[in-house]
Amino acid sequence: MNIEGLIERCEEGLEYARRFGADRAEVYGEEGRKLSATIEKDDLQLSESHSETTIGVRAFVGDRVGFASTNDLSRLEEACRDAVVLAKASPGDPHNVLPEPAEIEPLDGIYDPAAEGFTEEEAVAAAIRMLDLAHSIDRRLILGDAEFSAEVFGRALANTSGLKASEQGSIFTYFALATAKEGDLVSNFDFQFDASRSVSEIDVEPITRRACENALGSLGAGKGKSFNGTVILSPNAALDLLIGLVLFQTNAKNCLKGMSRWKDSLGKSVAVSSLTIVDDGRLSGGVASSSFDREGVPHRKLPLIEEGILSSHMFNSYTADATGTANTGHGSGSARSLPGIGPTNLSILPGEGTKEELIAGVKEGLFVTRFSGNTNPVSGDFSGVAKAAYLIENGRLSRPVVGILIAGNAFDALTRISGVSEDRERIYNFTLPYLRVEGVSVTAE
Amino acid sequence: MRALLEGIARGAEGFVELRYHARTTRRISVRNGDLEESSSVRLTGVGVRALVDGTFGFASTSDLSEAGIRKALAAAQGAAKTAARAKREKIVRLAEGALAVGTFPVPTDDPLENHPLEEKLNLVLSLDAHVRNGAKEIVSSSVMFSEFEDEKVIVTSDGASAQLFDSKPDIRVIAIAERDGDQTMGFSSVGVTGGWAELLGRRAPEELAESAVRRAVDQLSAPYPEGGSSVVVLNPELVGILTHEAIGHTVEADLVLGGAVTADKIGHRVASDLVTLCDSGRSEHLPHAVGSLPFDDEGIIADRTVIIEEGILRSYLHNRETAARFGVEPTGNGRAFTYSDPPIIRMRNTYIEPGDTPPEELIGGIEAGYYLSGLGMSGQADSNAEFMFGVREARRITGGKIGELVRGVTISGNAFQVLQSVDAVGDDFAWENGSGYCGKGQPAKVDAGGPHIRCTLTIGGRQG
Repeated sequence: MNIEGLIERCEEGLEYARRFGADRAEVYGEEGRKLSATIEKDDLQLSESHSETTIGVRAFVGDRVGFASTNDLSRLEEACRDAVVLAKASPGDPHNVLPEPAEIEPLDGIYDPAAEGFTEEEAVAAAIRMLDLAHSIDRRLILGDAEFSAEVFGRALANTSGLKASEQGSIFTYFALATAKEGDLVSNFDFQFDASRSVSEIDVEPITRRACENALGSLGAGKGKSFNGTVILSPNAALDLLIGLVLFQTNAKNCLKGMSRWKDSLGKSVAVSSLTIVDDGRLSGGVASSSFDREGVPHRKLPLIEEGILSSHMFNSYTADATGTANTGHGSGSARSLPGIGPTNLSILPGEGTKEELIAGVKEGLFVTRFSGNTNPVSGDFSGVAKAAYLIENGRLSRPVVGILIAGNAFDALTRISGVSEDRERIYNFTLPYLRVEGVSVTAE
Repeated sequence: MRALLEGIARGAEGFVELRYHARTTRRISVRNGDLEESSSVRLTGVGVRALVDGTFGFASTSDLSEAGIRKALAAAQGAAKTAARAKREKIVRLAEGALAVGTFPVPTDDPLENHPLEEKLNLVLSLDAHVRNGAKEIVSSSVMFSEFEDEKVIVTSDGASAQLFDSKPDIRVIAIAERDGDQTMGFSSVGVTGGWAELLGRRAPEELAESAVRRAVDQLSAPYPEGGSSVVVLNPELVGILTHEAIGHTVEADLVLGGAVTADKIGHRVASDLVTLCDSGRSEHLPHAVGSLPFDDEGIIADRTVIIEEGILRSYLHNRETAARFGVEPTGNGRAFTYSDPPIIRMRNTYIEPGDTPPEELIGGIEAGYYLSGLGMSGQADSNAEFMFGVREARRITGGKIGELVRGVTISGNAFQVLQSVDAVGDDFAWENGSGYCGKGQPAKVDAGGPHIRCTLTIGGRQG
């Protein structure tokens, strides 16, 4: 289906919803075609091709709301009826509102027409490039899992307030998961991800190399030491250990529901002054870059934490209405779900010094490539296994260690960051530096 | 649809597998008395897998017309041909197995559709209120109900032709407690394969709400434990987690071929002789386990697979491709979450067989240790069987008696070493992991459980 066809189906959906008794409605459509090639256990596993169109209908009856979606467009009318039926059966909420139309500035660089002609052969070739590279780096490496995918998609939205929005996009995503094996020794796996919005910017090499080097480095890891002190988190580890907490705490819904400790912390210090976190839905080349959110609200750049000070929460139309705050355009989700709240492209701004310089400043510590554990987003308590970890001794990585538990509190960790690297890596829609954190509990088994 | 797919498969060149899957997911979610979501999502389509030149290609489409399905078949065959030029190790053959033929209805006398939306909504709203009124420390509540209703048709060009009607409802309850700025979370859940009566019959809904409240409130005053190796008793839910996450994934044949720690260990001792560990498409010992399926998404009858028999590793979990490679029969573990997912090796209901020791005797034999229940916020495990799980509820055992609650407990170690340390297995049994999903590129509804077991593992504490 072309984008015009999708817009027409959205408008048709509004008509159906009105006819079944909706006072207001929103219809959001997504169509996409995706090609992918996957590597498993060191060989090409599967080549895939998908095509799907999905329509999601939000129907309002008074202040009650219901949601239904279908990917069978012959059932669009039925989905509109279901949404109205669900709305009528539900309790009301005065903050169930739709956004008013606002000017949406088109965003360059999210759609590459050349992506339309991208072939299955090219997807397979990109996957094979990752595999060949891994094998050329070291024969002990196994590319256990890797994927290259190419997607072109269209999004369209119409609501009864007169809001209409549509855009097309293209995205190429690729990841590599590498393990090293020597005799009976099996390393921890390492996972790396990157993406491109245009054909010309596809580059699978850096992530493949990084995943392989991290897997090799952790081979033959020995026993570690227990201490309470300095830990350096890779971007990947920082994502799993700290970012979930930041997303939970800045989610306006969690503030509204009393679940966020940062609900009254705007303008207050929540982290060290070297930490600035920005969410930017219009980031050039960003994985999540698009001109409007799940509700048709324009995306913009929004600092969440500026030099350690909490500067904003993330809002969609419900939470903006409930708190009397401006909508920040963080309505998230697909046509298969109600709009939630989520980040777009979230970045920690670069600090000073390279990763190596961060390490050089540590007499005794632990370098963590991957964090396999959990952070309680409410209490901030984290604990988990430091994967592909290294002891830091006298300013350098001395040897890989295994069976290391790290624990602490992520709220505290944000206030104990003693270094932010200038080099950053992308994982999904996050761009993060290496972070040096003090006062972390490290337990060797 | 079955006749249409049979017609297309009959005329196709080479091996093809056609799968129609229509799923309606309904969700009701309430937080602090407010309705967060009432939704109905219909996802329908056909997934096609074709084997050409020893290589699979997969295509999916939401277009259900014969022309749409034929187009997807051509795309799958084209993708396979393209991939075949790059694939190094070709699929020589697919293993023969017991192919499913016929219609398999959902095991319930009380289908979900007999219960109107209002009844489900009222249950969710009343449970949410029950949580908030459960204790003065409760500051936030949330309750989520979800149900899947599935219709599947699987047809293969070598003779499978089966239709399945299935439903899987679940309820999850979260309570947040707060005292002196300290917040804690309590969670409880239930999920089944079946209908409304089976869901409510497994655990009384009020009891779900009360246990979430108790778990949140009790933790507020609990101290943190000291770290180190300890003798513990794991409850059936945690036995299920260990069995699924830390053992089960390492015996999935695709991960075995990818370098999992179990490679070359068939016939070797990997656990104490008290341990027999299985994965089954049937609901063993107790009915309505969530991972139950009569046949998998390759059309193979999904039977019981003994993975570890009295401590000896006996089998991996297979699809048709890996079974042929290992020279064994497929175990019915090829599963796909939606029509647009290709089938991959997944667990179903994974468990340890009950032993002969009453659970109270397991505890009675411990001078100093812990009684551990349920999974906390989350857990992770690697293909080398190293794991780390947060524990939802941990109590000290002193002089053979369960005592003080401790908070923030994690357990870690190598799962096979933990199974080697098992010195007693309970004579009880429960399926306890039916509300969650297993993730492996795509989600899957699985279950896991077992009896109580006694073993030794590492407790994560805090330094300094």
